[in-house]
Amino acid sequence: MADRERSAADRRLEALFESAPIADDGFTDRVLRRVRRRIWVRRLVLPVAAAIGGALAYEPAMALLRFISRLEVGIPQELRTMPVSLLSSATIAALSVVLLLAVALALRMLDEF
Amino acid sequence: MAIHGTRLITLSTTTPEPPDHALVARVVAANDALAFGELVRRHQSRVRNFLRHLSGDHATADDLAQDTFLHAWDKLSTYSARGSFIGWLLRVAYTTFLQSRRRAKRYAQILRAAGDDAHAASQGYTRSDDEAPDLDRLLAALTEEEQAIFIMAYACGLSHREIGSAMLMPIGTVKSVIYRGKQKIRTQFDIKDHQHG
Repeated sequence: MADRERSAADRRLEALFESAPIADDGFTDRVLRRVRRRIWVRRLVLPVAAAIGGALAYEPAMALLRFISRLEVGIPQELRTMPVSLLSSATIAALSVVLLLAVALALRMLDEF
Repeated sequence: MAIHGTRLITLSTTTPEPPDHALVARVVAANDALAFGELVRRHQSRVRNFLRHLSGDHATADDLAQDTFLHAWDKLSTYSARGSFIGWLLRVAYTTFLQSRRRAKRYAQILRAAGDDAHAASQGYTRSDDEAPDLDRLLAALTEEEQAIFIMAYACGLSHREIGSAMLMPIGTVKSVIYRGKQKIRTQFDIKDHQHG
């Protein structure tokens, strides 16, 4: 008896929730478009970020290498008086990293839309 | 000619469709967008129906359904073929819904803090008791978790086992949530047992 009552209640609820299947109406195509865009963005993000980061970091990296190559003798003395040009290079390098992250973030946001 | 035609039709109608887990394997192994498209086509109706009932708004539900499938694309490798794919997909849909609702609530709080009460009130998924149809009023009597379970059971036709795997709870708990929900509906709408049957 209790089972019969329960199944009747279930039938009533199923009838209440019943609705016709929702037509696709281009829904799948819209999802696939976003998926394909996401695939492309993922493929592009690393090479683009590497290219931008490399271009920005090239000059400070070269300056750093030149500075290191000059440190053959007298390391303590050189370290105590760091050249101003190297300090600006370090700033540029830091900015490059920030820009790199910003580009990656922007591409990620594009990916979301 | 006619024989050829018949044979072609017979072949096309008897070719079995690949099961969900086979399509998932193709997507995971080779990023196969076409296989994923087939999965979307198969399940979009139930996912959208689930989210329409849950959010109470068709446009919002369809946006959430798109996000659900994108999240599913990202997390497909975590699907283990032990449970049904639709159960797993509805779990992703439910998580997407909860995240979106949390964001909407936070946005409404910010708007309220800024003194924009009119816009704040329009944020979030709230069902108005007076104007909502019967089903929405009935769902409003339930907690969010109960709503999700009821919709999975009665609108999407999931078994208790599938609901359990979708909601990460034992079957016994699913059954008791459904029982408790029915009791609430009976009490709230003053339905006698003979009326309900």
